[in-house]
Amino acid sequence: MSILPIKIDNFSYAIGDSKILRNINIDSKEKKITIIAGNNGSGKTTLLKAMHGLIEDPSNSISWANNSIKTIKELQSMVFQNPILLNRTTFENILYVANKKKTNEKNYVNKIIEKLNIKDIANIDARYLSGGEKQKVAIAMSIIGNPKIIFLDEPTSQLDPVYKHEIESIISSLAENDTKIFMTSHDISQIKRIGEEIIFLDKGRIIFNGKVKEFLNEKTNKVIRNYISYG
Amino acid sequence: MLSNIIETAFHLIFTLDKDLIEIISLSLKVTMSALLISVLISIPFGSFLVLYRNKFQSFVILVSNTLMGMPPVVLGLIIYTLVSKRGIFGFLDILYTPSAMILAQTLLITPIVVSLTYEEIYKKHKDYYLFLNSLNLSNFSKLRTLIYECRYALITVTLTGFGRASAEVGAVMIVGGNINHFTRVMTTAIAFETSKGSIELAVALGLILIMISFIITLLIKSLRKIK
Repeated sequence: MSILPIKIDNFSYAIGDSKILRNINIDSKEKKITIIAGNNGSGKTTLLKAMHGLIEDPSNSISWANNSIKTIKELQSMVFQNPILLNRTTFENILYVANKKKTNEKNYVNKIIEKLNIKDIANIDARYLSGGEKQKVAIAMSIIGNPKIIFLDEPTSQLDPVYKHEIESIISSLAENDTKIFMTSHDISQIKRIGEEIIFLDKGRIIFNGKVKEFLNEKTNKVIRNYISYG
Repeated sequence: MLSNIIETAFHLIFTLDKDLIEIISLSLKVTMSALLISVLISIPFGSFLVLYRNKFQSFVILVSNTLMGMPPVVLGLIIYTLVSKRGIFGFLDILYTPSAMILAQTLLITPIVVSLTYEEIYKKHKDYYLFLNSLNLSNFSKLRTLIYECRYALITVTLTGFGRASAEVGAVMIVGGNINHFTRVMTTAIAFETSKGSIELAVALGLILIMISFIITLLIKSLRKIK
């Protein structure tokens, strides 16, 4: 099933009187990595959640190659900023997702564990893992069943440079293998390193949507200029 | 005098006195049956209330929380009026039988188990709802996962229910009638033996109840550590 282009047609989202996203329009055909950036409270995570179907879209503004989110949901996965893991071992966490995605062969789970280089922590209870290890386990869980789209919400924000590099490599290799990545990030150097496209939000509105190279050369918009220069 | 009473009480315990064993085994049978029925109803129901949240659910939780504090004698009285010969369930003919006592204990602890289950599952659901929705799971699948993830907490809830049921006296006295060799359980026997001045058996049963309570507390404590 084809998943691109993703089209978002005039999507808005509010909680009470507080408008989180305003008139969002996206038409993205590019595979590889799309960064969603913006200052705190600009609506990045909410946009990711909306694209992943975790937020109601009563007007069906979001579609993936003309398919609704519900139809495409099986082909998506998401890694949250604070990794959500079950109170089980790493292996059992991955096996749980594999079970739900009906790919529950132990060999398959072991392959994923090897691929993500987390064999050492396979039998450790998830509660006792470090932040970086949890993030890697969450990514391992997200790639079960070869999803075509992965949403990553600031996956490296709390990590040291070594872990950050390791996770960026994993993300890049996923993108090279035809997985569409949507990832929020605050880190300008990271955006430069791995981003292809960037959607920049300010107070719930998209103020830039294009190539990362163009974004980095943006001179006219003060919010973007400040973001880049302080980043 | 006190030392004599305690000595006789321990003698009854260590010689496995026939009456004492009969009372303890009926108590455990009644309480365990009530607990099993209550847990089988309350844990799925309490979890269900978390996932299907609406006005009805809020009302049910309000009622359940209110019933948690219901005086057992009042509950006993209600069951008595329902299952006595002239009551609407009189045809069941269960008044003054262990079945009526099981019914009373079940109704007594069900609101407690429902409310505590709801609390535990609600907390876990708050942590996991994004993850579970992200996996596009059915509500049944989510329910199973949440119950499994709360397993230690739910065992604690079950033990709390057991503690409450085993310590119950008012309701089982009313609907069971405290009939010797038939519906006499530990708590009603303690009340009865004390009132007729036969304090040794009452003390022996009291010691057993304290021991059960101590074991339950220890189990809850160690489960909290695991949690």
